[in-house]
Amino acid sequence: MDGYVITVLSNIGMISFIALSAYLLLITGEISFGQQAYFGLGAYAAGAATAMFAQPIWVGILIGACVAGFVAVLVGALTLRLSGLYFSISTLAFAEMVRLVLLIVEVQVEVDGEMVGPDGANGFHDIRWMFERDISLTEFMFIIYALLAVVLIALLLMERSRLGSVFRMLGSDDLLAEMQGLNTVRYRILAAGMAGAIAGIGGALYAHFTTYVEPQFFNAMLGVHALAYGLIGGLGTAFGPLIGVAIDLGFLEAVRFIQGYRMIVFGGLVAVLLILMPRGILDEERVHRLKVLFSRRNDAGARGR
Amino acid sequence: MIDFVQNTVDGIMFGSSYALLAIGFTIIFGVMRRLNLAYGATIMLGAYAGTWLHVHYQVNALVVAMTILACTVLAGIYVERLCFRAVRRDAVLASMVSSFVIWMQLEEVAIHLLPERTYPFPSLFVAGSFELGPFLFRAEQITMLALAVVMVAALNLLLHRTRYGLALRAVCESPQAAGYMGIDTRWVMLCAFALVSLVGGVAGYAILATDEQVTPFFGLWATFKGLIAMMLGGMGSLPGAILGGLVLGVVEAHAQWYLGNEYKDLSAYVLLFAILVLRPGGLMGRRILGREELAFRRV
Repeated sequence: MDGYVITVLSNIGMISFIALSAYLLLITGEISFGQQAYFGLGAYAAGAATAMFAQPIWVGILIGACVAGFVAVLVGALTLRLSGLYFSISTLAFAEMVRLVLLIVEVQVEVDGEMVGPDGANGFHDIRWMFERDISLTEFMFIIYALLAVVLIALLLMERSRLGSVFRMLGSDDLLAEMQGLNTVRYRILAAGMAGAIAGIGGALYAHFTTYVEPQFFNAMLGVHALAYGLIGGLGTAFGPLIGVAIDLGFLEAVRFIQGYRMIVFGGLVAVLLILMPRGILDEERVHRLKVLFSRRNDAGARGR
Repeated sequence: MIDFVQNTVDGIMFGSSYALLAIGFTIIFGVMRRLNLAYGATIMLGAYAGTWLHVHYQVNALVVAMTILACTVLAGIYVERLCFRAVRRDAVLASMVSSFVIWMQLEEVAIHLLPERTYPFPSLFVAGSFELGPFLFRAEQITMLALAVVMVAALNLLLHRTRYGLALRAVCESPQAAGYMGIDTRWVMLCAFALVSLVGGVAGYAILATDEQVTPFFGLWATFKGLIAMMLGGMGSLPGAILGGLVLGVVEAHAQWYLGNEYKDLSAYVLLFAILVLRPGGLMGRRILGREELAFRRV
């Protein structure tokens, strides 16, 4: 595989984290425009851990996830009272606050005679873990996909568990959920924290893949794209967001002759898709039908034997 | 003290354009109960079409203004057809995401129209500045304020003194009930889109004529400023949108003066977040439906 393909595939993998994070909130019925904040916080925290304090990358990713998750829990607690569009706009406001603060923050320490650390609008340079350990792009891509697989399996298991049903219940009718005796406050904060941590992992990987992050990358466009990926792919299963990312970054990147007109084509495609399937390609109904289809096949196979 | 007054005055002048943008958002939200994220982009497309004529054919400012209005209205109707009418009524999220991708689409069309970074924009027929005591006024800003006042007054007349205004308010209250009264809700909604595009076109023209240039960031800027101003005032409230716009303008002007340029946008978001957390309904909006009220409505 050449470098270009690996870069595209790695990008798909890393953006999938933020798409999954937006998806997790979507199934609990919250529309967040602000998951890019946790992606950015994860990137900065993980970058700081490895580049400024010489920690191994696993610690960096863990710190990125924890910082992002912790902040997400705080914001989740503050915005508990809000619902619907008010919640969406408050997440947007928070994310823009984070981005604009990162544009101002300058914290640098000296490492090997060079100043390393977030440098305001100039971004955070020299997150050189990959070079120092002599890790190739291909190897790093496998790290990304291994972590993505872990997160994806965790989400799929979660959806089969009671927690998954609770989240979906919150999404379809939180009043009903409360009447069932569920502590909706706790579950909403939990969902916010989990979503933040997932985005944080993606950010941590992104910082190490590009070796350089700047606040400008974590703008509202990233967050709204993440949301769109979740909805395009479908709200029925955690595979949905991945399909959304693959369609945008994979398919449209691959088709060269629409280069330069990419958003015109993508925008039109998605608009038509949403008219035909308002809850995405793999929505709850279709996922259910697929499940029935597969289980029937298995039954028939068992009987045939 | 003089600085403080001057900043407040500047803020109000600029805030009047935010107010116009917020009115567009708030009317669409009131009518559709959905967010139209493509609003800023429709204005941007109109502005680019006007500037394209200006750059290539050197037409005068009046033709530019007319082109902007016409193209913005056309783009607004396109958005209504594709993202709102065609999408199932209960799919709120789909409409919003759809309007977002159409935002991206319109923005790319605009950038293909004028591929370089920035272009000059014909300034208003009145330009210059004058001093009144220790204070400095720019004629463009006075014009913008006057334009905003006229637009708001006209909108107010339209909403409260005409049959269409009555129909629009009825649809805001309850589309279903309005339908039973024999109001063609779909027509009202289409007209509402055309109306806010018209308001947006005027606002866009006034803003760009004050800046004397167009940049590819205009769509994003207009969307965010309008959204923030609307949320500050309270969603779906017309006086709220005006107040929100003015408050936003004044706060930004003071933040820029006392704290520096990089704090201008930051102050706007901090203010918005604080208002949402402390007073979620906005400054003048209706309170968010309480749990009990919501439960009552279901019954």
